[in-house]
Amino acid sequence: MSSVVISGDTSGSITLSAPAVSGTNTATLPAATGTVMVSGNMPAFSANANTTQAISQNAWTKVNYGNEVFDTNNNFASSRFTPTVAGYYQINATVNFGGGTYPVDSRCAIYKNGSVFANGSAFITTLTANGGLQSVNYLAYMNGSTDYLEIYAYTGSSGTTLYGDSTNTLFNGCMVRSA
Amino acid sequence: MYEKLILIYPELSNFDFGNGVITIQNDSDGKGDYIAKWEHPTLAKPTDEELA
Repeated sequence: MSSVVISGDTSGSITLSAPAVSGTNTATLPAATGTVMVSGNMPAFSANANTTQAISQNAWTKVNYGNEVFDTNNNFASSRFTPTVAGYYQINATVNFGGGTYPVDSRCAIYKNGSVFANGSAFITTLTANGGLQSVNYLAYMNGSTDYLEIYAYTGSSGTTLYGDSTNTLFNGCMVRSA
Repeated sequence: MYEKLILIYPELSNFDFGNGVITIQNDSDGKGDYIAKWEHPTLAKPTDEELA
């Protein structure tokens, strides 16, 4: 027997299949109640900014991440992540500041459902040749239907831009466990 | 928006904006800056007419 099919009470089925390679392997299920996670129900996404963006002084401005690298469950659109699977998600973001006057309070934050949820590091002393990189990381519970995440940036300086590039201005995340 | 608020209330500082007392927000949707939160202990939130 190469596979076991379990039919649902009313519809649908699950097929458990052994790989078509030699050898004996064991999969042990934990002694706990919960949902088995497989790649198909563990969303992951990654995006970066492909354009430079101006931001207003002392205003929280939504960061545009216009270049999708991957989006396994089609949950990322318009720089917003709205996962359709409930659970806990590790979220990471970076923003690269340019222009402006330093030292100054400049940071990024994870916004959940339109409001600040987690603040990142808060101060840039001086810009390097590549700009001023700030980051934020957080573990967020998402309900799998209405909850969404975005990244906002803030600076106390006028004349500031956010650099668009594929290695410094990033927004990514993935599910680490189910609800 | 920040420039307008400073004209109305010159006593406001960066601290008021950076620490959640007053939140100016821009959702990058083409509608510009707006006041998302105003919790200043003594200064009243400006009216739309004052901000126009």
